[in-house]
Amino acid sequence: MHVKQTYPSIKKGSKNRRRMLIVLRWPFLLAAAACMIVNLAVAGPLWGVIAVLVLYIVWRLILSPDLIEYNRMSQSIKIVVWTSILLAFIDVLLAHGFALFVVPIVCFSGLVVSIVLFFTDLQRQKHNMMPLILFEIASIIASVIVLCLWKSPNNWPYIVLLSLSAFCLLAKVVVLGRDFKIELQRRFHIQ
Amino acid sequence: MKKTVKSEFSLFVGERTDEERTLIEAFFSEFDLHFLVSKRDKKQFRADFESAIISLYGQGVPMEEILSRLSLANLGGFYARPSTVWFPLDNAAKIYPISMEHGRQQVFRLSLYLKEDVIPSLLQMALSFTVKRFPSFATTLKKGVFWHYLDAVKKHFPIEEEHDVPCQPIKVSLSGSQPFRLMYYKNRISAEFFHVLTDGTGAMIFLKVLVSEYLRLCGVTAAKSDIWNANDTPTNEEFENAFVKVEKAESGSGFVDKPVLQMNGQPARRKPCRILHFKMDATELHRVAKQHGATITAYLLMQMFYAAQAATDELTGDLHIQVPVNMRKFYPSKTVRNFSMYCGVKIPIEKIGNKAEMIAEINAQLAEKASKDKMREMITAAVNLVNSIRIIPLVIKQPIAKIVYGFLGETLYTTTFSNLGVVNMPSEFCEHIENMDFSLGAQMTNRLACTAITCNGVSTFSISKMTADPTFEEKMYRLLTEDGIAVAVEGSEYYAR
Repeated sequence: MHVKQTYPSIKKGSKNRRRMLIVLRWPFLLAAAACMIVNLAVAGPLWGVIAVLVLYIVWRLILSPDLIEYNRMSQSIKIVVWTSILLAFIDVLLAHGFALFVVPIVCFSGLVVSIVLFFTDLQRQKHNMMPLILFEIASIIASVIVLCLWKSPNNWPYIVLLSLSAFCLLAKVVVLGRDFKIELQRRFHIQ
Repeated sequence: MKKTVKSEFSLFVGERTDEERTLIEAFFSEFDLHFLVSKRDKKQFRADFESAIISLYGQGVPMEEILSRLSLANLGGFYARPSTVWFPLDNAAKIYPISMEHGRQQVFRLSLYLKEDVIPSLLQMALSFTVKRFPSFATTLKKGVFWHYLDAVKKHFPIEEEHDVPCQPIKVSLSGSQPFRLMYYKNRISAEFFHVLTDGTGAMIFLKVLVSEYLRLCGVTAAKSDIWNANDTPTNEEFENAFVKVEKAESGSGFVDKPVLQMNGQPARRKPCRILHFKMDATELHRVAKQHGATITAYLLMQMFYAAQAATDELTGDLHIQVPVNMRKFYPSKTVRNFSMYCGVKIPIEKIGNKAEMIAEINAQLAEKASKDKMREMITAAVNLVNSIRIIPLVIKQPIAKIVYGFLGETLYTTTFSNLGVVNMPSEFCEHIENMDFSLGAQMTNRLACTAITCNGVSTFSISKMTADPTFEEKMYRLLTEDGIAVAVEGSEYYAR
């Protein structure tokens, strides 16, 4: 059976991320297991959990990024969310008492960056704003809860986060008008 | 690159007569009105028009005729309006983005071979003129809270020269990235589609319109043709989710079955690792199939069972070939979205023997399993399933669907055989077309996937291979030639790494 070649020859080597992930999966799992085993063996604070979480974040954000909607909005929000989760874990497991103050600062700083990224490319990014909207809504709810429960002069980051989130959400409603409503219809459709 | 094209065009314009220069200036005077896209895209569109003008002029076409063929009216104002529409995924498409992974995406490819090499600048223009007719193709995949959807996008859709393994996953993650790609290589135009967008029939409609636009730009027109006119206004029916229009059956037949035999062979790292096309005379193939008392589909299925038997060392178990069924033949619809279901022809490996018995069994199974009633039951099951999980957020159903798809998915069948049937083209076009082929993309468990298509008197049976083991294709070749069919084999090299 003679095969006449009708396709171009392709370059050697591979850009296949799937193969890379298959290869890298084992060092990552090994590193995670090693961290936990060493941590349990030497006892003390549970730093192994933090190490595993960092490995997971690196995996999700860098090595195995989103297959759908990998854009500046989704990635900036993801970084903020994962950083906040990591800080919360460090607070609980290693150094207590700072996260309640630091996490909202990280969140509103991230929100400022995201908003700049959003409004500097409005026409394109208005189709990618859902993660930002969800983040703002979550920030408003979380800030309200904390402000109700935690009466302290140190709670100013929550006031800033609440104000900023509410303002940004409102700004989007005003600037985008009907587009904002349509975007919500698309995102929440169940057809 | 763009600067070079621009200066080349300036030089070109400078060398033309006053009359031609006036025509060109008049042509571009309203150019900006037709493009409400980014500056970069607008520049690219302009460069496309300029390249096409130079190319057509080089072929000796008069300037007036060139500008008439490339008339901006062919854009239909598509790029002059902001994108507002969006399309929920049809019932069949919903599983594709959910089960997608890095390196795993349901992609298929349709190729058409011209008698002369493709002119890239005209193909690019043909795509720009065609895409407006298919608004559901000019989209990007987005993630909703409950389901994915297709969001309209107005941008420059580029063509590319083919340089990679066929049917590779299409990058749909970036803002505005389209779920299809259009390529050319020598005399071949290839369109690859992520299945989320359309099925084989929808893709064929798109490719036919594209090729008719390309040939029109080359100066070939058909007096009478059933190909859609690229300048007609799209109708709602063309992108409807036709599954929901099918009347419900009393009971839905399930998709769950037990795993079946797989062919042997080490799965390759690159998938597909080879594409093979068996080109045969359609009349000869039809005659041989008729001699066996079978349709072309049933005949090729029979040969596939023999070849699959040769390609596995197992002695017991079922061989199961999945056959897509076009629902449009039962429920006429103009939709270019997915509207096909599957049936399976299953034969125990130990019962593969006598040809007449095999044909009788395949005919019987096809008649029963691909019947309207069976398909209606399957559609009912699919629609019910989608309805029952529609209010579960994607973050919950996606991991579950991935696990279920990973466990079942391809293990339920040995391979797939999709026959797109006969593609009719107007006689004026046939003079410029050699034939077509159709290929399926990577399978994770199955060792190969097969397709067939007939165009311009040539039937092409294609195999997308996931393993280096050559048993299946060698056996298939031998079986066909033994039946007196002359087979010309074309294809790719083996993509080892």
